[in-house]
Amino acid sequence: MSATDGPGALVSATDGPGALVSATDGPVGGPGHVRGRLFGRNVLEGAFRAAPDEDLFIGELLVGEDDATGRRYLFRVVDVTYGSEHREPGWAERVAGTLLADDARDEEGAHPLHEQARRTYRVASCSCLGYLAPPEVPGTAATEFRKPKSLPTQFSRVVAPGPEDFAFLASRMGDLPVGRLRSGETVVDFPVGIPGTALSSHVGIFATTGMGKSNLMRVLAAGAMRANGRYGLLIVDPHGEYRSALARHPWAALALRTYAARSLPNTTALRISLAELNVDDLRTAYEWSRPQEEALFELERHYGTDGLGWMSAFATLDDLPGFRDVELNGRLALNTLQVVHRRARRIVGLGCIATDPNVSVGRAVVRDLLDGKVVLIDVSGLGSTEEVLVASYLTRRVLEEWQGAYLDEPDRHERMPVVAVVLEEAQRVLGANKDRESNVFPRVAREGRKFNVGLCAITQQPKLLDDELLSQFNTFFILGLADEKDRNILRSSAKQDISALGKEIQTLMPGECLIAGLAAPFAMPAKVDLYDAVLRDTPRPPEARSSPAPNVSALVD
Amino acid sequence: MVTWASPPPEIMVAMPAATIEDAASRLAALLTRAGGALGDGERHDLVFEPEIVALPLERRAAPGDVWAVDGGQTVVADARCVQLAVTRTARVRWRDGSSALEEEGELRAHLLGCGEERAALRTLGVPVRADAAVDLNLLRDWGEWEAVSRCVAEADPGAVVLVDGDLQPDWRIPPSLLAELLEVADDRGVVIAGVTKHSSLAQGGAPLLGRLEREAEDRFGPRGMWWARLATTRPDSGPELVVLAARLDPDARFSFRVDLPAGIDHAAALGALAGLCDDAAFPGYPYPLSVADRLAACPGWLRADVWSELEASFDRAGVPVDVVERAFTDRHRLMERS
Repeated sequence: MSATDGPGALVSATDGPGALVSATDGPVGGPGHVRGRLFGRNVLEGAFRAAPDEDLFIGELLVGEDDATGRRYLFRVVDVTYGSEHREPGWAERVAGTLLADDARDEEGAHPLHEQARRTYRVASCSCLGYLAPPEVPGTAATEFRKPKSLPTQFSRVVAPGPEDFAFLASRMGDLPVGRLRSGETVVDFPVGIPGTALSSHVGIFATTGMGKSNLMRVLAAGAMRANGRYGLLIVDPHGEYRSALARHPWAALALRTYAARSLPNTTALRISLAELNVDDLRTAYEWSRPQEEALFELERHYGTDGLGWMSAFATLDDLPGFRDVELNGRLALNTLQVVHRRARRIVGLGCIATDPNVSVGRAVVRDLLDGKVVLIDVSGLGSTEEVLVASYLTRRVLEEWQGAYLDEPDRHERMPVVAVVLEEAQRVLGANKDRESNVFPRVAREGRKFNVGLCAITQQPKLLDDELLSQFNTFFILGLADEKDRNILRSSAKQDISALGKEIQTLMPGECLIAGLAAPFAMPAKVDLYDAVLRDTPRPPEARSSPAPNVSALVD
Repeated sequence: MVTWASPPPEIMVAMPAATIEDAASRLAALLTRAGGALGDGERHDLVFEPEIVALPLERRAAPGDVWAVDGGQTVVADARCVQLAVTRTARVRWRDGSSALEEEGELRAHLLGCGEERAALRTLGVPVRADAAVDLNLLRDWGEWEAVSRCVAEADPGAVVLVDGDLQPDWRIPPSLLAELLEVADDRGVVIAGVTKHSSLAQGGAPLLGRLEREAEDRFGPRGMWWARLATTRPDSGPELVVLAARLDPDARFSFRVDLPAGIDHAAALGALAGLCDDAAFPGYPYPLSVADRLAACPGWLRADVWSELEASFDRAGVPVDVVERAFTDRHRLMERS
């Protein structure tokens, strides 16, 4: 990070990772500036007093310096309130009333509050994140971070953290960068991210509209593209919002493959054979009544074709009553059959559905994922149910491939990349009433981790996700969420204790997020990088050598 | 065996019970009655003005050097026959709009009861008669006047020294002491002013200042600042002082009694005092006095600290715990709790 990185950017003298960068124009309190003095409360919660003009922010990370033990306690501000030396009830309200009356008379300043700096103050409530034990070798940086189990000495100084206070996090931030550490309104020049291996234990991205879900997903995809094949991402994009953005990535030629359900430049046509789809895919994508499901199985049995291959013939039937009476011996109600017929005609008529069993991209998609690519499935133009149908099929293919390798070819499985399926509006397939045996997505949520297949669920309404399925998600990206129920469900499901962070979540601005996962010792506040900035900073991939270097060629047969 | 004497027959006659309603009726009559004699329930050396006239008050620039004195006290250990109490006197110096000095004052511990208080008199050099009754009020008051004396000595010419309460030392302290102090102050160009938050001045049994406030509001409006001369001390009772009432800020909830030395421009002195009364938290009350009040307070934690120190001393002296408990346990509270 350089000092020229943007307007208002301020880099500390150390100019290394961990330097403080102001998100606003004002200077930030650097190391050494005493922000307050600790006076309460217990091992897990701190409270410190600060000057009345000390600009404290919810989510700010601060350090309590315990001179007695040499420990540095890391605190996160969870609330800030007013304090006063005056104990009389209603004192503050009375003062405000006097000042307000002066304002009303246009006599501002008629009643100054003398020595306000001494009579009033601020009280910051904090959660204690843990402490850095003093280094074993004096003079070296403290790197061992421990959970809070002791009280810092009362009245310890509270200061802004320095780069060395975050050093312990460096090894835990993983290889999928997301952005930079955020301390309240201040962005710290310290990269944060998640380990790509966390993809297999499922990732949730939760935010209301406009809070930066798509940007975050692009940034994650950018990280996956640069991971040299370690991770595969299958992104099902219903709105066509990723195609042009991901294509601009300098590594796209090597690491991105785009399939599109409609004719789009620089994409491969998305064609799925009916024979590869099965009744479970239909049951995942559409709502079926019990008799309708019976009809599906009856038709499958009647035609005896692979998968849904029977649909092409069934969809072209003209005499449905005759077919019912003659071919099915009247076993199905006509109106049930009519519903299935109507849906079959729609499915068969989709541009991305092929009746030729030899035409399918399923194998190609799996191959791309095995190569550790980002595979973008642009299903814009399809209806919501058809989009789920495609996602269900591809997810099933991926799960079968990885599961098969895990069971039968463990050595190959070891070498296979971790893969994740990215689902927009995930509540459609992970909702409480969607958890059926036929639905592949809950199955991935429960079993996928073992096979290195994860889900990356994106939703605006986490409250609609099944609780038990949500508990399978080990990594949460929590962006701004307006609905309290949404926030509550995440607070109770996150793998780290974020119960005290309700206000912080409530006040997240676009692009700001909390990352709750198993890698970091606490929920990491982050400012997500802008995807365009990521592109700017991404170097082009190294040129592929056509032949081994001369000194190596001798070793190559 | 104790034999009780029979009470006189008249005591045995049933008297009408004093009801709350009766008391409330009488109080209502006192509070609403117009006119009546002027008086001070706490001192009887005041000569009241034949007619009290409220005059408009103009706020002036606050004095450049202002001192404020207030005292605090608390009983730490109470064995009824003997008590341990502490006093302290806070001093504040307010210069050019900010506190230049804030002294909480040293804690002074006093033993009271069973003649122990005599030692306190000797230690502190309180100039009272050898047989004068000694109580905590006297000791605290003496500390305050000592502090006032130090303020006068350290003040710049033109300064004001504010005292919480009237300018009348405890009745056991010789009036000559105040006379000397006022003389020194006068020589140094320093004005000593007493400000009483809740005075006992009355007219016809009703609070005088409340009545004046209502009348002044009618005359000057709800945001009027005013002052009125109320009384003068009798010449034979000590140095001549003037007792005034003043509303020192347009937004003051109350007016206050202000005692000033005679022979100065009272309107000017009150105007300058009003210049100190603009604090948003306490409009109408001199801000330096409110700081001194806060510093001098002896809150519960202070009492607890002293008690801990006392216990440690008992321990070092080998006083059995049960002796301490029997002496100082608050039995009223104990009984109420049970």
